[in-house]
Amino acid sequence: MARPLAVARWFVGAAPGADRTLPFWRREPSRAQWLAIAFASLAALLATWWALTRPDGVVSPLFLPPPSEVWDAFVRLLRRPYLGSTLGQHVGASLGIVIGGWLLAGAVGLPLGIAMGWWQKARWIAFPVFQILRPVPPLAWIPLAILWLGIGDSARIFVVFIAAIVPWVMNSMQAVYSIDGLLVRAAMTLGASDRQILTRVVCRTALPTLVAGARIALGNAWTTLVAAELLAATAGLGYIALNASRTLEIGILLVAMAIIGILGALFSIGMHVLTRLVAPWARAGRAA
Amino acid sequence: MSGASATLAAGARRSGASAAARRPAAYGAAALLGLLALWGIATAIPGFVPPRVLPSPLDVVLRFGSLIAEPFSGATLFGHALVSLQRWSLGVLAAIGLGLPLGVALAWLPPLRAIVTPAFELLRYIPPFAWVPIAVLWFGATTTTQAAIVFIAAFPACIINTQLAVSEVDSILVRAARTLGAGAATTLRRVVLPVAAPTVFTGLRIAFGNGWMALVGAELIVGKQGLGFLISQGQINDSAATILVGMTTIGVLGALIDLVLQRVQRLALPWKPSIVKPFE
Repeated sequence: MARPLAVARWFVGAAPGADRTLPFWRREPSRAQWLAIAFASLAALLATWWALTRPDGVVSPLFLPPPSEVWDAFVRLLRRPYLGSTLGQHVGASLGIVIGGWLLAGAVGLPLGIAMGWWQKARWIAFPVFQILRPVPPLAWIPLAILWLGIGDSARIFVVFIAAIVPWVMNSMQAVYSIDGLLVRAAMTLGASDRQILTRVVCRTALPTLVAGARIALGNAWTTLVAAELLAATAGLGYIALNASRTLEIGILLVAMAIIGILGALFSIGMHVLTRLVAPWARAGRAA
Repeated sequence: MSGASATLAAGARRSGASAAARRPAAYGAAALLGLLALWGIATAIPGFVPPRVLPSPLDVVLRFGSLIAEPFSGATLFGHALVSLQRWSLGVLAAIGLGLPLGVALAWLPPLRAIVTPAFELLRYIPPFAWVPIAVLWFGATTTTQAAIVFIAAFPACIINTQLAVSEVDSILVRAARTLGAGAATTLRRVVLPVAAPTVFTGLRIAFGNGWMALVGAELIVGKQGLGFLISQGQINDSAATILVGMTTIGVLGALIDLVLQRVQRLALPWKPSIVKPFE
């Protein structure tokens, strides 16, 4: 009985911090209002798109095809293989490389970062190397990767690895380094060995920051992979996008962009869920 | 305050000053020199690492000299760098010009946020480079395309951080200003913006970095000049030395941009640290 009531109150109730003395344009809308405005805005956006791209509209379909054409392109992509692979295979190719490179970067970066946070000398030695490498965008490694490894999967995994390793290392270092010395000393007093302190106290306290690093790394990896696929690939969503742009199939291009965006959003949401699961005590960061 | 709780940044800032803090610098320098020596030795042994894969450090320095002296792929190194910087500043200026006012408006007028959020959230997850193919179709292989990609990369950081900065301003300050008879415009200009400025500035730093990164990606794919184009030409001509020179230039310019901004921030807004760390 209390639950539907709470839901109803959540829905219509004034937003927290709403100040009745303010004029309506300065007031936080209630959730119902908020949803209504958001839906109306989205509908207006779609309607504008549709109106602009009608046969007698101002925008040529070569610039922006109507929504119906984009939907048709999506259905076509689902039904028939495009550029030698089905849509599922293209998505699978992109996902495989991004996850592979990300995990590889984690396997190297996580222990390295923890070591750099824990042992002063490891930090002194390795941090400057990262400081030097960090300003070079991962994308700038693409030509070198192609020169070294050709246009196969390994070049893309390499670039994704480069993009993902910096957040892995930096966050795990930061996490371990900034642990309250009091916790470590308390564990010491209670007779914990160095190894126990590292695994039981340090790594657990550092967990939320570690997972945040993993999330940023995955986002970077995805962004970079798309660029790498635009340059050198034989399958993948970026590859679809570039080819569709060359053959002026804008519907397909927009579908590819949409799938790239949706997968990126899913990664981000998935990592937030993971943070809740492994470190429920951590407050989710506001900035994505 | 114990040493352990001091931040890394503070540690780095102090490193030049005290003698005790000079030891990490020595370790770092040793590590970098060691890597350099390893590189030199590996490329000096004939047949161990072919120069096609990794040229010797000397080759790279020589290539740097020749790229400065004579044009490669249509321009000297400085020419390419200038073209890149020009595109970058166009895109970044547009992002600031639109992002800052819009960010303030979004924080100040909550209903507007409800209007804009759905579209913004839909587009936010599409990486800037995914826009390259369609930007090429829309604008052709022109400076506009590159600048548009820079804009798309820089705009979210501008708008998100500005909005965050303005909405984090303590409402007591705003109410106090109102009680003292300040109108909305005065409150914004004299109370909200100065308080929000450090965080806004940090957003700009992130935006500038993202824009620079995206520009390199865009230039790899489309364009006839610029640093990204330079390294892609290096790849086509099988010249690893050219790529390495280009990568170094991109990295150094990116670091310089951030350094200059940090200086400007410290000079212009010395009063308060930002709530957002420029750490991505």
